[in-house]
Amino acid sequence: MTFRQFAFRNVTRNKRLYTAYFLSSMFMVMVFFTFSIFASHPQLSADRLNSSTVVALTVSKWIIYVFSFFFVLYSMSAFLQSRKKEFGLMILQGMTTGQLRRMIFMENMLIGFSAIAGGLGLGLVFAKGILLAGENIIALNERLYFYFPLQAIVLTLVSFLLLFVLISLFISAVLRSGKLITLIKSDRQPKKEPKASLLLSLLVVVLIGISYFLSLRAEGLEAVLLLLPVVIMVTVATYLLFTQLSVYIIRRLKRQERFFWFRTNMLLFSDLSYRMKDNARTFFLVAIISTVSFCAIGSLYGFQSMLYGSLPKHNPYLFTYLAREGDSMEQAHVQLVNQQLSESGLRTEPAELELSYYPLAAGSGEMLLLVKQSQYNHIAEIMDMELIELRGGQAVAVDYGLSRNGEGMLNQPLQLQTGAVVEADRAILSPVVSVVSHYLVVPDALLSSLGNPSRADHYYAWHGPAGQKGADAAGGQLLNKLPYSEAYQFRAMDYQMDMTVKNFGPMMFVGFFVGIVFFVSAGSFLYFRLYSDLDEDKHKFKAISKLGLSEKELGRILNRQISLLFFAPIIVALVHGAVALTTLSHMFQYSLLKESALVLGLFFIIQLVYFLIVRLFYTRQVRLALRQ
Amino acid sequence: MLQVKQVNKIYEGNIAYRALTDIDLTVDEGEFIGIMGPSGSGKTTLLNLIATVDSPTTGEILIDGKSIGRMGKNELAVFRRRQLGFVFQDFNLLNTLTVEENMVLPLTLDGAPVREMKEKAQRIADKLGIASIMKKRTYEISGGQSQRTAIARAMIHSPKLLLADEPTGNLDSKAAKDVLDMLMTINQEQKTTMLLVTHDAVAASYCHRVVFIKDGRFYTEIHRGDNRQGFFQKIIDTLSLLGGYGNDVPTIRIP
Repeated sequence: MTFRQFAFRNVTRNKRLYTAYFLSSMFMVMVFFTFSIFASHPQLSADRLNSSTVVALTVSKWIIYVFSFFFVLYSMSAFLQSRKKEFGLMILQGMTTGQLRRMIFMENMLIGFSAIAGGLGLGLVFAKGILLAGENIIALNERLYFYFPLQAIVLTLVSFLLLFVLISLFISAVLRSGKLITLIKSDRQPKKEPKASLLLSLLVVVLIGISYFLSLRAEGLEAVLLLLPVVIMVTVATYLLFTQLSVYIIRRLKRQERFFWFRTNMLLFSDLSYRMKDNARTFFLVAIISTVSFCAIGSLYGFQSMLYGSLPKHNPYLFTYLAREGDSMEQAHVQLVNQQLSESGLRTEPAELELSYYPLAAGSGEMLLLVKQSQYNHIAEIMDMELIELRGGQAVAVDYGLSRNGEGMLNQPLQLQTGAVVEADRAILSPVVSVVSHYLVVPDALLSSLGNPSRADHYYAWHGPAGQKGADAAGGQLLNKLPYSEAYQFRAMDYQMDMTVKNFGPMMFVGFFVGIVFFVSAGSFLYFRLYSDLDEDKHKFKAISKLGLSEKELGRILNRQISLLFFAPIIVALVHGAVALTTLSHMFQYSLLKESALVLGLFFIIQLVYFLIVRLFYTRQVRLALRQ
Repeated sequence: MLQVKQVNKIYEGNIAYRALTDIDLTVDEGEFIGIMGPSGSGKTTLLNLIATVDSPTTGEILIDGKSIGRMGKNELAVFRRRQLGFVFQDFNLLNTLTVEENMVLPLTLDGAPVREMKEKAQRIADKLGIASIMKKRTYEISGGQSQRTAIARAMIHSPKLLLADEPTGNLDSKAAKDVLDMLMTINQEQKTTMLLVTHDAVAASYCHRVVFIKDGRFYTEIHRGDNRQGFFQKIIDTLSLLGGYGNDVPTIRIP
């Protein structure tokens, strides 16, 4: 056995320890490689239209790279921690510090090389399939032909080799072997029971409470402002939850002898309290990483269904045309649209509305936008929307989209420069006029009495069922004829939705993969945490089984122990994710209940399957040890 | 060959604990020394100090006139892999390696040629009767076989000094006798200096000289002379004077 063989055998014969880490690294390499295949596909990179796709792919590729960096760094240092005794024995056999470093470097490079080779191999095998899937998801109109992705291979190879070499060098360079006696006795040294402070435990409740309260009652764009402070608070709270509150609760439970001394509770909880120090860090990492992955996938999926579901709902016109004051081509353009509609054979009901702007008395030149009740109700009727009834000359404030400015004008008399006073006593959300964010609907008589507005825009809408044949093409043609201009604004819904979906496809595709990468790596952390306790568990249960522990009881203890490890962080992440998605759905006034439940439920089921598999193997391992 | 001079070991901590006080010990080349004493008397601590696993608080340990405390890190590594063999009570084999690979580890670290390693491993395995399990992994073999493997690992590089910490502690009496016979043979044939820490009077009776430690201080030492049976009896007598074992003859007899 040469030194090199020695180092390799340390890895190849310790498969169980490294499996999850190896698979996750390989998966990361594969996703990175897949994204590279796409991004450097000659058809995509040549085509200007798809440049946003290429940018999205490239950005997320490097996000995965940076994440892999930390993943590998953390995993490797965790492995080294668990092998202290082994290192002690090797040093006692006469290993120099230099040899120890070389051994660790070689071991890491072996895993790194295999992960890169495996990732590239799998990527190549599935490349055609992934290209096919990509065509559909990105909604490309052309076929992506299969090409030999030399550039992508070289990029992946070089980047990940660099990553593994750098981290291996770094890890082995900073390795401090410490005193030999502490290394050799490391497995026998009793771990200290972590302490918890009541104050910090209470802080968890306070922080989580504040964060959830703030995010759940945030409305509209407030959520964006709250994002950073809430994220920081939740992160800190999650950390303290596992390092302080959980320790505190376990200690309190241990003091309850009626509970603690009840059957197998003692085994489970005494174990838990001593392992909590190691567990806490893993739990925290897994909870945060899973939350990120839930939120990413949940919100992307939510956005997608919002696009399909809400675009027609919030902009329920096939076409709209807003003529700003001074648009000389107004009549000609409206004529053009009508002509195109009849040529394409689209069924639509046209409607027209006047947007009158009056300057406010207070403030410097602020304008108040007023709309006639009769015109508003005419369109609302066409669209099957609720009609507005006005009482006693009061106005109604209408908001559209994310703005809540109309609501802010409630119940305060607004004096116009002409002297007249308008006051809104009610605020509603409605998509009837889809080109402005907020306005007041006033009685016809009131508007007529105000005289000429200082600015009057005309809003034309052609309402009809969405998804009519030819609507897409007609929209495209009309947009070509009516390009962007200061004087007017033309929108074609079907066409625009198609464009949005096309732009959104890659985001979805990419985000999904990034989310999965995160989730898989969280699983790897859990697996490692569990297996680094395997030997200790074997010892412990061997001792206990001599006192009389049935197979059933053993199974029950292990079941509780493993399920706690697997589900405590995931449940925290699911709750965080659910709150985040609820906030998101408040922000867009679009119920994401179905989507959130689907995404979170799916993740939960994956975790459950993973748990069942790992539990099966772990329990079998411990049982085998007992029979020896 | 080995000189322990005025060694003290104090464990710092919340309560400082004095494990060894003013220990002096001189061991000649080829000697087979037993170290005995009640639990907690500092036997293993002393052995760890000599094995360079731990370092003394004050005092000095010389091997062939060279202080091991003054060796540099790499010098120490070379010293361990060429001159020192260590056998643990719980074997401490590396479970990623086979029996044979565990045996040749010190040579591997020294960069020896594979052929030489193979030859040496085969020779020792034949001698220790583990040639048939060379390809097995550590979890496939029994306690006695594990301890033989550990002894083979401690011996393969023909060390000058072999230290054994309760090598028979985890073995049944048959396996224990085999291991002790083996140690004795090695001592006689290769003139390896040996230090054996043990609780077991039978194991200690294999030594040339037994040193007794109590509460971290040197207590007494007895020599074997020619008669092993008499030596065994003397060890038992000294132990009962020392006290500390439940199955000893109590120092105060209650009629």
